[in-house]
Amino acid sequence: MSFDLSLIVESIPKMLMGIGLTMQLLFISAALGLALAIILLLMRISGKWYLAWPSLTYIYIFRGTPILVQIFIIYHGLPQFEFIRESILWPILREPYGCAIVALSLNTGAYVSEILRGGVLGVDRGLKEAGAALGLSVRQRFVYITTPIAIRLAIPAYSNDIVSLMKSTALASTITLLDMMGIARTIVAETYAPYEVFISLAVIYMILTLFIQKGFGLFEKRMSRYVKQ
Amino acid sequence: MEAVSGWWDDFFWGSVVVLQVFITSLIMMVLFGLIGAAAKLSNNRVAQKLAGAYTVIFRGTPEILVLLLIYFGSAIFLTSVAQSFDPSTKFVDIPPFWAGAFAIALIVGSYATETFRGAFLGVDPGQIEAARALGISSLQTFIYVQIPEMWRLALPAFGNHMLSLIKDTALISIIGLNETLFVAEQATGTTGKPFTMYIVVGCIYLAFSTVITLTVMALEKYSNRHLERAR
Repeated sequence: MSFDLSLIVESIPKMLMGIGLTMQLLFISAALGLALAIILLLMRISGKWYLAWPSLTYIYIFRGTPILVQIFIIYHGLPQFEFIRESILWPILREPYGCAIVALSLNTGAYVSEILRGGVLGVDRGLKEAGAALGLSVRQRFVYITTPIAIRLAIPAYSNDIVSLMKSTALASTITLLDMMGIARTIVAETYAPYEVFISLAVIYMILTLFIQKGFGLFEKRMSRYVKQ
Repeated sequence: MEAVSGWWDDFFWGSVVVLQVFITSLIMMVLFGLIGAAAKLSNNRVAQKLAGAYTVIFRGTPEILVLLLIYFGSAIFLTSVAQSFDPSTKFVDIPPFWAGAFAIALIVGSYATETFRGAFLGVDPGQIEAARALGISSLQTFIYVQIPEMWRLALPAFGNHMLSLIKDTALISIIGLNETLFVAEQATGTTGKPFTMYIVVGCIYLAFSTVITLTVMALEKYSNRHLERAR
């Protein structure tokens, strides 16, 4: 039982080889999840029950179950069906990489949709009324008034969700992917030195979290530049 | 669905384990959150810094990493301690139940720290001053004035923390806790029906989340009843 410094020096470069995969999982899932979230949001605020209900059900299911269970259903569960194995989606769902991206996107989409909805609901009614008084159409009001303000209002919560998404990418290691977490688990299995390896990995993740928060902080500042001068 | 028929009792006991972990970690989470919030609000600079480090560390690292670190870290430590007494010992660990409950309570507790801190700040200072003026001690003020007023403010966010907690219990199957996800893995091994089994797990968790959500809604209504009447 000792703290082996040379092991830390050795394992950090190895774990950083997985940062590319972690980043791919993060960025691709964030982009796909955002697209899904926007679709879900538009369905939900459309005012038509046959659009709003499926969106609500989707959000309820994906926010009510653990992401790990969702990953397992997609990775281990779906190949149970013949039609999945014969479908055009099979090349994606056959690989753990594709499954991780699908699961993370579907999951984050549900959360982000709620965040965006909070932003849309937070837009002052007076501004929309002003837009109507100026003769803007419903669509113009949504695009030019609601959307920019809703984006600014949603940034803090969205930033938190991106941090959660980054933390969830570590779960890809449970379906054999060698992201940073997967590599760390391999090293620990070989050396049996959890303290050195896991603590240095924790520091790497914390630095990434810091970058995400700082980045969104700057973005929020820029989006809020009209608020007070 | 007939594949599940022989496994209902296992899933039931798995759900009981989920519930036990949830309740255990909930108690610890509230404790960690209250201690963290008290430290952040205290005038002691060391306590503030420690609580700040606590929230930064546990909100910035993946749950699975914290879980594995606590489980394997404690196992290595305990094994080496045990070996110094009895060299023939092979492996000693904290049971996955306790290691897991502790780990997820630490993680969610860091979020609860921020929630409780905000809720304590939301209590009208006039209320505390009034208690002081009445000669109530600071401990009594804390228990009878600050806690009853802050939990109402903390409730919506606290409900989300409970949901995170119940969902994080699924992770503990990774270190071998025999909860529902673990049962599903075993059932898949014998029946070859992974989708069916994991969907059952999903439904169990969805049921738990629903109950928590409804409970929090009822509690919110209860805690705001004095506002209801005033309207």
